[in-house]
Amino acid sequence: MSVTVEAPMPGKILAIKVRAGDTVKEDDELAVLEAMKMENLIYAPAGGTVKEIKVEAGQNVVTGQVIFIIE
Amino acid sequence: MVEAISNGLSGLAAGTLHLHWTNPVMIAIGCGLLYLGIKKDFEPLLLVPIGFGCILVNIPLADVMGEGGFLRTIYDAGVITELFPLLIFIGIGAMTDFSPLLQNPVTFLLGAAGQFGIFLTLGLALLLGFTQLDAVAVGIIGACDGPTAIYVSSQYAPHLLGAVSVAAYSYMSLVPVFQPPIMRFLTTQKEKNIIMSNKGIKPVSKTAKILFPLVMTICGGLIAPMGLPLIGTIMLGNLMRESGAVSRLTKASENEIANVVTLFLGLSVGATMAGDAFLNPKTLLILALGFIAICLDTVCGVLFGKLMCFLSGGKVNPLIGAAGISAFPMSARVVQREGQKYNKRNYLLMHAMGANAGGQIGSVMAAAVMLSVLKGMGII
Amino acid sequence: MDNLTFGITILVVGMGGTIITLWVMSLIMRLLTRIFPYKEGEDGN
Repeated sequence: MSVTVEAPMPGKILAIKVRAGDTVKEDDELAVLEAMKMENLIYAPAGGTVKEIKVEAGQNVVTGQVIFIIE
Repeated sequence: MVEAISNGLSGLAAGTLHLHWTNPVMIAIGCGLLYLGIKKDFEPLLLVPIGFGCILVNIPLADVMGEGGFLRTIYDAGVITELFPLLIFIGIGAMTDFSPLLQNPVTFLLGAAGQFGIFLTLGLALLLGFTQLDAVAVGIIGACDGPTAIYVSSQYAPHLLGAVSVAAYSYMSLVPVFQPPIMRFLTTQKEKNIIMSNKGIKPVSKTAKILFPLVMTICGGLIAPMGLPLIGTIMLGNLMRESGAVSRLTKASENEIANVVTLFLGLSVGATMAGDAFLNPKTLLILALGFIAICLDTVCGVLFGKLMCFLSGGKVNPLIGAAGISAFPMSARVVQREGQKYNKRNYLLMHAMGANAGGQIGSVMAAAVMLSVLKGMGII
Repeated sequence: MDNLTFGITILVVGMGGTIITLWVMSLIMRLLTRIFPYKEGEDGN
């Protein structure tokens, strides 16, 4: 079962903390999103393997944009 | 010859010989403010000039605040005339993006609730024996906004300007320290975990962003004309920013003007902290009441957030109510961090920024309303 | 004016005035954001 991790608000992805193929647990840190001049951590909503990373560090994202797909 | 030499030497010793016990105490307090500003990074832009001004005014015989003294000149030019806080407000308006507030106009109400501490503390100050205008100056610390506090106290209780300003700026820096326990205490686990989605939040048009400062100035000014200087200056700054038509003026307002005036204002405020005026039990009481004012702001904001949660059927996380104070954007960041502490899936930042921007507007309006009510009552 | 009258008046009219004023502002701004909605591409995006 796939779980998508979406951008919770518009901003810039400052850092991606995992790679495709990594195994993650629920609440692991996945990325850092800069929004409104504040760095915010994005956490894994569920455990699994990072199947796909849809954005890169430095990229601007909008609310709801898919960042990770976890299986 | 001997007499001349002796007189000359006495001129060098006079300063030390005229030291009153309050002078070294206040010099130490000035050094303390410098320490907070430089080492601890507590609002350094204000606490450093305030601390230094405090040291200068407490060195005897220099008479920097006497007739013709340089600090007196600066004080009369910008504090008595109220020019300094208003010029800073233009800069603040030029620096602030009110979009989060406009995207979610209901957060105006959180900005209002976050000012209730002003009025509650005013009542408390009256009970503790302060005069009516002194109580107004003490209550305005709850606006959590330096220029507003200075604007009100310099006009209606100038003898309290030093204590009120030091309280306002020091406590603003402590927002990340005292807000979280209040938020934790006043909300249930279920409320803390309420996730607020950002998906429904749409961008605001440039036209709306330009009309906002005009609407605020005209409507706010008509309702509370005594506060028009405060409302008008912050909205002028914001209009310049949003119009994009006067970028040179906007940049000057948020940089050169704001920086120069901040320096002069800080020095002037520090210059009011002469030992004989500052060192009395009333000052400690003001510092305590100022702290209570800002705590009450947080309490009222969170409680109003709980009311909104109830009325919305559980959609609003009451934690965002704590951001309804004017400590922008610090308080919004505190709410975001606290919200994520309880639920890692929760990103309250955009909603909290709306409340925080609402708090900025709310503090200006609360001061304006208060001054207009006082005028109506014949107190001022 | 005695302190009790002063305090209660400021509390009620001050707090009430602030919240009503800001409520009115929120209604006006809600109306204006509806009359002048955001258009895609208006800020160069």
